[in-house]
Amino acid sequence: MKNITILFFGKLKETWNTSQLKQQTTSATIQELYTELLQLTDEEPHKGSIKVAINDEFVTWNTNIKDNDVIAFLPPASGG
Amino acid sequence: MFKLSETDINESELRKETRDPACGGFVCFEGWVRDHNQGKNVQELAYEAYPKLAIKEGNKIIAEAINKFAIKKAICTHRVGLLEIGDMAVWVGVSAAHRDAAFKACRYILDEVKSRVPIWKNETWVDGESGWIEQDSTIMD
Repeated sequence: MKNITILFFGKLKETWNTSQLKQQTTSATIQELYTELLQLTDEEPHKGSIKVAINDEFVTWNTNIKDNDVIAFLPPASGG
Repeated sequence: MFKLSETDINESELRKETRDPACGGFVCFEGWVRDHNQGKNVQELAYEAYPKLAIKEGNKIIAEAINKFAIKKAICTHRVGLLEIGDMAVWVGVSAAHRDAAFKACRYILDEVKSRVPIWKNETWVDGESGWIEQDSTIMD
């Protein structure tokens, strides 16, 4: 079991109704964690447009999760 | 250098930082908050960022621009927090020996910042409703 922190930004904060979750997980990868997190929301976010980061670095969906990781789910940027 | 600013962007200060004696040209883009979007009257907007990653990605874009184009200096500052109509949301300035590289680099930095830097726009409209905005200015479902 790993202790992780999950950050949601933009519209995804509304999808999960929070900007931060402290969670224990057995998920091995970001993809597995995301599937786990979908159980906490009734919405179906468009996964293809979401970017993911671990500890302030962009990563891919199949990246492994480690204990104490801070994992961020980012909707498409809309700055400028 | 890429920066996020929680207060008004000081463009004259940024312009000074971009100056260089080896440069004969300076190109600048200012993005302002407009009063309408997608047929709605905009009251105000808020930019939210993932600061650490935004600064990292923004500086990566500046480095790419310096590498790709024959420019001397490039600076981009993006606002976060609550902005009113007419406020400056983003400032990009590029100095170069010659104008062509400066124009191209300025465009490159702005386009890449808009699509890659983790910053999100939330508009509040005059009708009291609000919504998150997509990269192409449409309103998210």
